[in-house]
Amino acid sequence: MELTVDERWDLIDKISKQTITFGRYSHTLKDAIAEITVKPLTGIPIAIAVMYGFWSFFGAFAGFFTDGFFVKIFDEHWLPWLQKVFPGEGGFLYYILVGDPTADNCFEAFGMLTSGLFVAIGVVLPAIIAFYLFLIIMEDSGYLPRLAVLIDTILHKIGLHGFAIVPIVLSLGCNVPAVTATRTLETKKQRFMMATLLAIFIPCGAQLGMMIEIIPGYVGFVMLYLLIGFFVTGFVLNKIIPGRSPEILMDVPPYRMPTVRNIGRKMWMRVKGFLFVAIPFVMLGVLLVNVLYWWGVIDWLADILEPVLSAWFGVPKETVGPLLAAFLRKDLAIAQLSAIEMTTYQLITSVVLINLYFPCVATFAMILKEGKEGGCKSAPIFLLGSLATLVATVFLFGGLLHLIWIILGVA
Amino acid sequence: MRNKIAYDIGRVYLAILGIVAFSFGAAEIMLSITGKELEWGILEMSGDFLAWRGLILLFTGLFYMVSIKNFTDIHQQAKAVMASVMIWIIAGMQIFGMIMGSIPGGEEGGWFSSGENFLAAYSAPYIPSLFLLPFSLVVIYYIYRLRRSEEREREA
Amino acid sequence: MKILLMGHPNVGKSVVFNRLTGANVTESNYPGTTVDYSKGYMRLEGEDVEVIDVPGTFSLEPKDKAEEVAVKMLEKNKKSAIICVIDSVKLERGLYLALEIIEEGYPVVIALNMWDIAQDKKIRIDIDKLSSILGVPVVPTTAISGEGIKELVSTIRKAAPVEIGRILKRSGVV
Ligand SMILES: Nc1nc2c(ncn2[C@@H]2O[C@H](COP(=O)(O)OP(=O)(O)OP(=O)(O)O)[C@@H](O)[C@H]2O)c(=O)[nH]1
Ligand SMILES: [Mg+2]
Repeated sequence: MELTVDERWDLIDKISKQTITFGRYSHTLKDAIAEITVKPLTGIPIAIAVMYGFWSFFGAFAGFFTDGFFVKIFDEHWLPWLQKVFPGEGGFLYYILVGDPTADNCFEAFGMLTSGLFVAIGVVLPAIIAFYLFLIIMEDSGYLPRLAVLIDTILHKIGLHGFAIVPIVLSLGCNVPAVTATRTLETKKQRFMMATLLAIFIPCGAQLGMMIEIIPGYVGFVMLYLLIGFFVTGFVLNKIIPGRSPEILMDVPPYRMPTVRNIGRKMWMRVKGFLFVAIPFVMLGVLLVNVLYWWGVIDWLADILEPVLSAWFGVPKETVGPLLAAFLRKDLAIAQLSAIEMTTYQLITSVVLINLYFPCVATFAMILKEGKEGGCKSAPIFLLGSLATLVATVFLFGGLLHLIWIILGVA
Repeated sequence: MRNKIAYDIGRVYLAILGIVAFSFGAAEIMLSITGKELEWGILEMSGDFLAWRGLILLFTGLFYMVSIKNFTDIHQQAKAVMASVMIWIIAGMQIFGMIMGSIPGGEEGGWFSSGENFLAAYSAPYIPSLFLLPFSLVVIYYIYRLRRSEEREREA
Repeated sequence: MKILLMGHPNVGKSVVFNRLTGANVTESNYPGTTVDYSKGYMRLEGEDVEVIDVPGTFSLEPKDKAEEVAVKMLEKNKKSAIICVIDSVKLERGLYLALEIIEEGYPVVIALNMWDIAQDKKIRIDIDKLSSILGVPVVPTTAISGEGIKELVSTIRKAAPVEIGRILKRSGVV
């Protein structure tokens, strides 16, 4: 026998009357704080303070390891030593593993053992540890759903609701789990929009860490530009894609003290994931790019694509190499940019291009998988839609940035 | 009666702290808008994110000042607590930055910094939030005492 | 036999799962942490039993893809016993899902999780009464500290399907 919804609630009412008694309970300070952190008037200033805290923590932490120690280890000890002892200078193996024999830093050498290791361990690892620490505290304390309530009105403008902040924040760590997290959105339209917007506009922790190393003064600008892109594109997508964007009731859990045990466990799982999945990809990326250079494929491509790259985006044709590497790892691609000769503004455009341009292969695979699970028929549509949005945004926002530089007279 | 006096002293304290924090914040924002920096004795208003720090301090001041009205209400006390937390975030990160910056040897030096350079990283001038830090701790202690006495009253 | 953990989002299912199986599923303080199922094994009276952690769902009519996974897992494992994890602070809401699952004919054990918070909030729940009305074992648990988990395990065997008509009768509705 099954009950109707009303019968069920009646029954629950009867049961709870006989079993639950509420004692006298007055609001504690914790409850009051929980309330004022979601009210916009008090909540937004607090959110600004939290973001500020995170950003300065990130800078100090990553700076300590990367600039304080790893740069020295890699550039002054590891690189010269390898260049000296590695046999077969000028040969294929030397080129692949060590790279440029005259390079004096690990960004420019671009061998698997030089740039590959430096990017993965020296720059990206400290960055993602800092990022994950922040993420985990956000997750475990219960602040994340409060941020969702605060941002609800803004996200409504692009047909999403506050809880879409969860995948956005997660994707600042890595886009892959963020794409999976879109499952908690109700409609196919919302999931498609979110997965696509994430993959295109939100840089992952590894990318951000690299950006701070290469264009320290301009990361804020790049982030702002990407955020504007996120909302503009979201607004347009919301208008042109059919489907609903229903409201939901948000359930905000109480604050809890994060435990060291859980923080440690989650951190270890994610760092392990990085060590075993991301590092091989970085190495593979260096290998691939080096082999393509060796065969002259990249120079050939650069010549073909030069009109587009220099006329439309205003960047040197050599950025073809990094753009190819971006397919495997975006952090690596950004690292590669620093070895190319160009103006700061061209560098900023290139960084933005790498952000917007094709999602890294891991994210791409995840989007494919999520699209497939939405029913076999919709998979190609999901993917094609994503790709179409991608191409449009790359040309639009990449070109727009070039235009801005032209107007400012710096291009 | 004794409680009443404690209340009034607390409120005057919060008002003053609020005004000071607010003014510091306003000054930092003004400076960052005009693109200037300020160093005055052991006080400095400069560095990265000056405008942001100013904005946060401005709100901190507002929170303190707003909380004075109806301070017996727990929600009002929560505002004062959060204002203090916001000061700790800025000051805490500043101190964290000093510690992280003081240890490595820098580009020319060895692996670790020399004793002199290490100490130099901690020397004045300091940003306003660092000066506000001890005063914000008093707020927390005061609210803690207040809650305790309220609880005792309720039990009695 | 299989054991399936069902319940609303953010009630502590994954914590219970990790306690039971020694697994390392992600626990976070926001609804929607788990979006896919994971399997693990626990020892129950000398036997290896499969335990499944699923995304949280408010009811058996899924509203999003994560809830769909949960409901599909329930339908796929007709022969399993269900540990219904309920947030003690929101008992009424949690009972709705529990009743739905009981109506489907599954053997159910109820874990009243977050018992520590209910105590702090001065919410008193008459466990024996609740258990006798529903006719299923009810165990208060505090999953993060592990309290009540042992009792929960020892009552799983006692779970048996309950006729909803009898619950109606015992509660005094009819
Ligand atoms: N105080 C207290 N906190 C608990 C208890 N059980 C779980 N928690 C906390 O509640 C939060 C949610 O726990 P999860 O296990 O991730 O919840 P879940 O049911 O798996 O949630 P979803 O995967 O989103 O459906 C975590 O922050 C836990 O630490 C408990 O008994 N007492
Ligand atoms: Mg879970």
